[in-house]
Amino acid sequence: MQTLISARNIKKSFRIGRKKRFLAVNDVSLDIFKGETLALVGESGSGKSTLAKLLMRLIKADEGSIAFEGQEIEELSEKEMLPFRREMQLVFQDPASSLDPRMNVRDIIAEPLETWKVYDSREKTDERIMELLDMVELKEDSLKRYPRQFSGGQRQRISIARAIAVNPKLLVCDESVSALDVCVQAQILNLLKKLKQEMDLTCLFISHDLSVVSFIADRVCVMKDGEICETAPGEKLFKSPEHEYTRYLLSSIPGQ
Amino acid sequence: MSEDLLLELRDLSVSIVGKKETLPIVKGIDLHIPRGSIVGLVGESGCGKSMTAKSINNILPPFARVTGGSIIWRTEASGEVDLALLKEKEMRKKCGTEIAMVFQEPMTSLNPLMQVGEQIKEVLTIHGVERDNKKAKDRVIEMLSKVGIAEPALRYNAWPHELSGGMRQRVMIAMAMICQPKLLIADEPTTALDVTIEAQILSLIKELCRNNSMSALVITHNMGVVSTLCDYVYVMYLGSVVESAPVKELFNNPCHPYTRGLLSSIPHVGDNPEFLHTIPGNVPDMKKHFKGCDFCLRCSDDIKQCFFEKPALTETGAGHFVRCHRSLGA
Ligand SMILES: Nc1ncnc2c1ncn2[C@@H]1O[C@H](COP(=O)(O)OP(=O)(O)O)[C@@H](O)[C@H]1O
Ligand SMILES: Nc1ncnc2c1ncn2[C@@H]1O[C@H](COP(=O)(O)OP(=O)(O)O)[C@@H](O)[C@H]1O
Ligand SMILES: [Mg+2]
Ligand SMILES: [Mg+2]
Repeated sequence: MQTLISARNIKKSFRIGRKKRFLAVNDVSLDIFKGETLALVGESGSGKSTLAKLLMRLIKADEGSIAFEGQEIEELSEKEMLPFRREMQLVFQDPASSLDPRMNVRDIIAEPLETWKVYDSREKTDERIMELLDMVELKEDSLKRYPRQFSGGQRQRISIARAIAVNPKLLVCDESVSALDVCVQAQILNLLKKLKQEMDLTCLFISHDLSVVSFIADRVCVMKDGEICETAPGEKLFKSPEHEYTRYLLSSIPGQ
Repeated sequence: MSEDLLLELRDLSVSIVGKKETLPIVKGIDLHIPRGSIVGLVGESGCGKSMTAKSINNILPPFARVTGGSIIWRTEASGEVDLALLKEKEMRKKCGTEIAMVFQEPMTSLNPLMQVGEQIKEVLTIHGVERDNKKAKDRVIEMLSKVGIAEPALRYNAWPHELSGGMRQRVMIAMAMICQPKLLIADEPTTALDVTIEAQILSLIKELCRNNSMSALVITHNMGVVSTLCDYVYVMYLGSVVESAPVKELFNNPCHPYTRGLLSSIPHVGDNPEFLHTIPGNVPDMKKHFKGCDFCLRCSDDIKQCFFEKPALTETGAGHFVRCHRSLGA
């Protein structure tokens, strides 16, 4: 199996108060393999989002190294980082705040395509946008409409279309289905799984919901207090969890 | 039979009353809360769960109003009253201490400028339940300990922002419980909490109900919460109850296509389907009036009748009610 991202011994602390520092990610090593969906689960504050930002190098680690397709990225300058930025796209939890309310759907999806100058003509860009709409199962007449005219689930489809527009190698979903109702959540989870199969996407899927993770993930990392306490293939982790904390999390799921 | 019901919603309707039009958002629901039982109300967001709850203790937002039906409340202290007919003040006097409510986001319901112990104590003094300051404080500390807050005497002086989400929700429950209510209405009480904290809060609610002969109406969109906590459950869709049954019966034998769809769209640890079941389409707009079954456009089981006539809620088994032409054998 080929490794897409490889992180070794990364640490990140934040300043809290005048003198204290809080260790949000503590000596974490992990690999993300090409084509897999790797889930990060853990309770809020365990460091999932911080770890994802570190891997995408949206923030810099205090210590440790991160390689993307074998190339060290931790020490790269912003400019040197640019080509890697295109390869790593993010879908947030709350599409309402991550979509510009003043832009229509066409412009929202066109933005990354234009930023990265993927196509040399507007026609080709629009062709790609139509293709993307179809992939995320939105109707053609969505193009001229604005985010507020869509439901939460449809907005999440727009965010996903924007994120996959430039064919990134890694899609990071940070609690992307957490705010959705179960029926809509099921639709978006199915969509993500379908896209992964069609596009051979690698996905880092962050969630606090173990049931959701069990559906979507090939492998799972359980985080607690900034550390990864167990990593295992989904089926193994849910059937025979090894770490005490994993067992505690599983036993807490209501109705299981 | 009805004497055993602490609360009975009869054909209750709530509407948004505008200048030009009235938009019904709760459309004639019947809901029973027997003494000592925990009743669940589930459904997707926007289906009218919170409005139903808020109509009970008269805290509907200004734009919404009870437009029909009655809310029958039965206790030894107050006899049988229709809460829908009471003014806010009478309501507070009548059952201000008998009905308590816990919301999803404790931070917005707590006063950030007041120590949590003092806030709980204020509930006691406002209702004149305990006038003696020292005794009131002792009662608060005892309650804090009951809801599982360690070092309650110390925490009495804590400010809301110093507490974690789970602790704040415990404080809210302590505040709701301090006057020993007969009914606890919990609106998404654990939705904002982590799963381990959620499990603790749910067993706390269950234990408090059992030990204090309290009843509860628990509103949630989480079927797992319903199955651990409730005795009986109502499923709402677009302002109506589409199915209600004892909890085990509902999970073992869901009859309404909406309930079935809802249950099968939830992923479960342990079974690994290739894809999840989904209900086609979206929840329709409440504003559009449709003379047929509210669910028929998303239903895969529909028959001709569904387009022309609203099905009635009908008992199909012991305590099991379904609103569907199909499951009535039509
Ligand atoms: N920019 C920041 N400044 C200070 N503390 C932070 C910052 N970002 C995150 N933290 C802290 O780091 C911890 C981990 O946060 P986060 O990665 O967001 O957790 P999760 O995504 O698992 O809920 C939390 O305690 C959070 O308060
Ligand atoms: N602030 C509001 N303004 C206008 N309509 C509202 C407002 N809040 C709720 N509603 C209407 O009332 C309906 C029921 O809302 P609510 O009872 O809060 O749903 P639930 O609690 O089931 O998510 C919604 O579908 C919406 O149409
Ligand atoms: Mg996070
Ligand atoms: Mg609500």
